[in-house]
Amino acid sequence: MEKKIVKNERTGEQYTYVKHPTGLDIFIWKMEDHSSTYALFGTKYGSINTKFKTKDEPDFITVPNGIAHYLEHKLFENEDCDVFSLYAKTGASANAYTSFDKTCYLFSCTDNVYDSLEILLNFVQDPYFTEETVRKEQGIIGQEIRMYDDDANWRVFFNMLQGIYHNHPVKIDIAGTVESIAKINADLLYKCYYTFYNLNNMVLSIAGNVDEDKVLELCDKLLKNNDNPELETAFEPEPDTVYQKEVVQKLEVSMPIFNIGFKAKPAKDGMEMFRAERETNFVLSLIASDTSDFYKQLYDEGLINSSFSSEVFNGDGYFCSIFGGESRDPRLVKDKIAAEIERCKKEGLDRERFELIKKAYYGSLIRDLNDADAIATGMLNFKMMGDISIFDAIEAVAAITFEDVQKRLETQFDTENVTLSIIEPLDSKEGQT
Amino acid sequence: MSIIYKREKIGEGIHFTTLINKSQKLNSIFINLLTPLSMETVSENAIIPRILSDSSKDYPSMTLLNKKLYSLYGASLRGSVSKMGDSQILILSAGCINNRYTFDGEKITEELIELLTGCLISPNVSGNGFEEKDFELKKQELLDEIDAEINEKRAYAFKRANQSVYKNEPAAISVNGNKETAGKVTAVSAYEQYKKLLETAQIEICFVGEEYSENCRDLLAEAFSKIKRNYAGDAHSERSPFKTEVCRVTEDHDVAQSKMVMAFKTNYEDIVAMKLMNAVFGATPISKLFMNVREKLSLCYYCSSGINAAKGVVYVDSGVERSNVEKAEAEILNQLNAIRNGDFTDEEMENARRSIINKWKGIGDNASSIAGWYLEQIYNGRSDSPEDQIGKLMKVTRDDIISAANSLRPDTVYVLAGKEENK
Repeated sequence: MEKKIVKNERTGEQYTYVKHPTGLDIFIWKMEDHSSTYALFGTKYGSINTKFKTKDEPDFITVPNGIAHYLEHKLFENEDCDVFSLYAKTGASANAYTSFDKTCYLFSCTDNVYDSLEILLNFVQDPYFTEETVRKEQGIIGQEIRMYDDDANWRVFFNMLQGIYHNHPVKIDIAGTVESIAKINADLLYKCYYTFYNLNNMVLSIAGNVDEDKVLELCDKLLKNNDNPELETAFEPEPDTVYQKEVVQKLEVSMPIFNIGFKAKPAKDGMEMFRAERETNFVLSLIASDTSDFYKQLYDEGLINSSFSSEVFNGDGYFCSIFGGESRDPRLVKDKIAAEIERCKKEGLDRERFELIKKAYYGSLIRDLNDADAIATGMLNFKMMGDISIFDAIEAVAAITFEDVQKRLETQFDTENVTLSIIEPLDSKEGQT
Repeated sequence: MSIIYKREKIGEGIHFTTLINKSQKLNSIFINLLTPLSMETVSENAIIPRILSDSSKDYPSMTLLNKKLYSLYGASLRGSVSKMGDSQILILSAGCINNRYTFDGEKITEELIELLTGCLISPNVSGNGFEEKDFELKKQELLDEIDAEINEKRAYAFKRANQSVYKNEPAAISVNGNKETAGKVTAVSAYEQYKKLLETAQIEICFVGEEYSENCRDLLAEAFSKIKRNYAGDAHSERSPFKTEVCRVTEDHDVAQSKMVMAFKTNYEDIVAMKLMNAVFGATPISKLFMNVREKLSLCYYCSSGINAAKGVVYVDSGVERSNVEKAEAEILNQLNAIRNGDFTDEEMENARRSIINKWKGIGDNASSIAGWYLEQIYNGRSDSPEDQIGKLMKVTRDDIISAANSLRPDTVYVLAGKEENK
């Protein structure tokens, strides 16, 4: 077992990293004086991983959309009860989520930490489903998909992704579609389970009031040895340009809601991805955060309100910068943002505010250290991004220069390669039902 | 982890509460102004925190104020408004990292308190009202937000249900008011109401941090000593009266999924027992509602219960296909009747108890949770710590849960009805 203590001078914080003989990466961050403990057991397997192969297969295979999420639902069930009933005996609050690129099972608790951890390690390693239990889940997941059909903020985002991407599966709803989940059966679930829920592809991350030795003792007892399947994932080739420049849908909303996505080349993994993400975030802050004159101008003109925000959205094979909010005139907002980007390319970004924005970001990293949940999630996310640590990230941010950020503006923001997604209110006639 | 609680009077109807928790790397300050909910002032009150948190006399534009916050290591400063029973609460809150994490040991907490009290006490005024242009933008934003309430169907259904549950009571009033009340607000009327609140409202200031700071206390006490007070007394709520017959409301909307909110009223005194009843009934993923209505019968995508303690109301909130609305209602009542009849196991009771304890023990880890906990305590004239309430919870018996469930009387069934399914 390889074990090391990872320290950071700047913050005085430390955690323990263990590479377990089973292949699992384990992170333990002890928080003195904290009441709760937060534990995450996750696999690098999300909705986008529909095409893959292992060393036992000659060719890549493609599985239906929504299968990672379906599997998450099904793993939450044992042979005789669901996982919530197990946690009921420890009092832990438990949950699970599937994102584009990972599936995580988690609990948060104040008492009975090790009993809860035992439950977590056991059920995630112990799949049980039959054709009958798989069929039953179709109703529940179908309801979940339908619920998101009414969610304007969800729709505006996925409509934008469908405009940006020709082929990349990030454009498909995480839960899949009613049609795609109809194709899921027990065999497919087992196939995906044994491919992606391999400890070599997984991370255990714990923050809170825990004893490291007890955690490792439990890991030794409960983790199952498995052969490394040498998993490879792949995506259909994706053109550089957006698929559609504008996507409009009507829903019962009071004011138009918009997402504007600038498509860029995806970053590689690890530190390169982190820097691309962080530097592009700094560009967004400089252009459109509430410290910028441009934001104030849009706000004063009544074109945006305080719901306006921007973010970088990136992962394996996709990268875009998104501006979103509510506006009476989303097309004008898009034009103004494009013009502002061109102006900043020509005249340069605001160097003075760059230092302020860096300082504020450092503050936000320290804030996160207050939260068991943010720490455990951070350790897991950075590991899955490609073997970087939360402290590497803090140090990398300190080293980012104004010139780095100006350069990102040039490479990540092509004002011709943009998708505008709008949810418009129903016409008054259609609104009457 | 024990939290040290200290409450000091620093003015007429103004208290400063300090909550010390060694695990905090942040310092957080919450200034709460509590005042009765009323149609006359609700929208003025909703707009005031938006204006105060965006600029001040010293930082007259949001860009200047935000740059200052960024220089304080990304400190936050927020204005919001919420409801507790029949009261409206205006909140100005701020938070920053502990001074010792700064690069040069800067005293950013003290600077942030000065900035926050400056926003509250010396706003950006012109003539005898708030600065007109900023005010108009905030007013438009409030109107837009009221319009946008329909976008979130679950919250919207809940709001509409409340209008029936609390008919003719202050608690029926939406926290932002409505289009009419918001439309009438002017820069002058909002400023007048602001001045009146500073004079009359119950003011509860809460500081959450790693250690007690006399500096911070003195800075706040000094700032508030400048206010002329004419205290109107503590805010409070009345229990919601029973209806003679169940109120049913159904509204059609162009949505895929229907939402149903059911409300029950009680005059049961033991709120801790009611909380345990609620946990057995529908507040956890091992509760009767979740296990039966959602999991076993697949009638709802979500189905959970909650409490409005100040008003004596238990509600059930669910998302359901239109064709299943009646079945879901019957099954929810079935589950309540099971508890009334004592048809629940000791295991169900102990599981529910553990789940609440787990939640309450962790409250001290989060600044806004612990500040919210004590604000609710103070509002109800108590000062119980989470540990104190856990002590009470341990004493709740099976019979208490049965009595709590039997005290519930059906009050309202509200359905936001979606389209019939296509398939």
